[in-house]
Amino acid sequence: MKKILQLALGIITSVGGFLEVGSVTTAAQAGALFGYRLLWSILLGTLCLIFLVEMSGRLAAVSKHTVVDAMRERFGFPFFFIVLVGIVLVAFMVLVAELGGIGFGIQILTGVGFPWWAVPVSLLVWLLMWKGTFSLIENGASLLGLVTLSFLVAALRLHPDWSGVTSAFLPSMPSGDKAKYGFLTVSILGASISPYLMYFYSSGAVEDEWDRTYIPINRFIAGFGMIFGGVLSMAVLVVSALALQPKGIQVDTFPQAALMMTTALPRWGFYLFAFSMIFACFGAALEVSLAIAYFFSQGFGWSWSEDLEPSKNSRFAFIYTVIILLAAIPLVFGIDPIKVTMMSMALTSFTLPLAIVPFLLLMNDPIYLGKYRNGWISNSVVSIVVVISFVLALISIPLEIMGG
Amino acid sequence: MRTKGFFVLTVLLAIACKPPTPAEQMDTIVSWVSTARMVGDAWLRHTTPDKYTSQTLQQADQMLLQTGSELLKSLPPAIDSAAFDRALTSTRFNISEMSRFVEAKDASRFRQPWDSVLIYMKVMKDYSDKVESSR
Repeated sequence: MKKILQLALGIITSVGGFLEVGSVTTAAQAGALFGYRLLWSILLGTLCLIFLVEMSGRLAAVSKHTVVDAMRERFGFPFFFIVLVGIVLVAFMVLVAELGGIGFGIQILTGVGFPWWAVPVSLLVWLLMWKGTFSLIENGASLLGLVTLSFLVAALRLHPDWSGVTSAFLPSMPSGDKAKYGFLTVSILGASISPYLMYFYSSGAVEDEWDRTYIPINRFIAGFGMIFGGVLSMAVLVVSALALQPKGIQVDTFPQAALMMTTALPRWGFYLFAFSMIFACFGAALEVSLAIAYFFSQGFGWSWSEDLEPSKNSRFAFIYTVIILLAAIPLVFGIDPIKVTMMSMALTSFTLPLAIVPFLLLMNDPIYLGKYRNGWISNSVVSIVVVISFVLALISIPLEIMGG
Repeated sequence: MRTKGFFVLTVLLAIACKPPTPAEQMDTIVSWVSTARMVGDAWLRHTTPDKYTSQTLQQADQMLLQTGSELLKSLPPAIDSAAFDRALTSTRFNISEMSRFVEAKDASRFRQPWDSVLIYMKVMKDYSDKVESSR
């Protein structure tokens, strides 16, 4: 019974915690510029994420190692340090974007600019990290994130053309603006396959003391939770394609994105969008801060647990305190959160090989996983998606940076 | 092989370094005029807060000023730049009037510039098509 409850909660929290500033922004921009055409990239990213999340849970359940623990042990500290620099830099940018997303949500409700919210919001995130437990952070924030289900309701109320939707699951090139199309594809893949989720998920599994009996539960949570989450991302794209694209509205700023639900849900659409942004970004900011603290603490061999008092876990608490403080600084100075979001999502794709290749090697190591190591399907799917993301990132990021 | 790689890189950089084209700038203008119209529509239905509405309208006005002045330097010769400038100025005037009436919470006087923006939205779409076809 306990495990069934955990399964249900796991799926619900995966759904509630799936959307964040990156997935909303990239899907909204994609829908506004290219209609349904980029749905295939959300599908591909979600498929890859299902495999990655399942693998990180399986690694924790079988070997009792988090991904970071195992990586440092298997490849040694010098290699781990290179991975740490790359991953933490990108995760830091994602944290800035998430805090900016919360600030923006409050800005459109109050009219007070997001830079003014950077410090109070960061303090609130920090306070929850300081006082909260892992289950409060994982479940509480994700349950609030269920407000993002309103995107699905909005999409259904707009009566999308289902044949158009299904045909967009096959990749196709637009007639113009191919550079933007490539950049958006990379950003969507980066938003879907966020490596910080693997670190967060495997650390959570170790915190919750998973063992081999959790392998089927892990598979269900990864599968159903991520599929439903992916459907939410697709719903954002569909809403944007139906509400904004016909009017020629591009999502260059957050206030433009906020209009997307006002067609389908005239009375509450604007407020549902604002609260979706606030709660989804809040949950993601907590997860990213935790993932960075886990990464450092597990990598350097310090004690780590969100369930321990900060006094018994001082270096772990110090890392998230510093990271949250640093992330607030660019926002106070008014850095555009939408630009940080798009760039951090694209850079995530660029750094994917750094995070995923050693992880795949680990997942095929009989010392850690014995008979539970990866099969050819999971190896192939993840490798193909990572290669696609990396190559596209290599081409489209310079184009986007220099083309403005 | 090395020469070919260098050539590809040069071409990519040349494409990448180009400033936004007049067609892209026109798309931005159409996007902001439509944004102004849509946010006005939502405000009339009492579904968006006053502050958000007026700030978005002010942002639309700023974006039109900025993008429009850049576009005027690079409009294709087939387009009458003086007429385009007049249309853009009128659009901006109506959008700033909308913002003023939102701040005054005057929905009845808001409707007139809001209706005008619909007309200018079509005008800007026509310009956008002309710029696109003159490429």
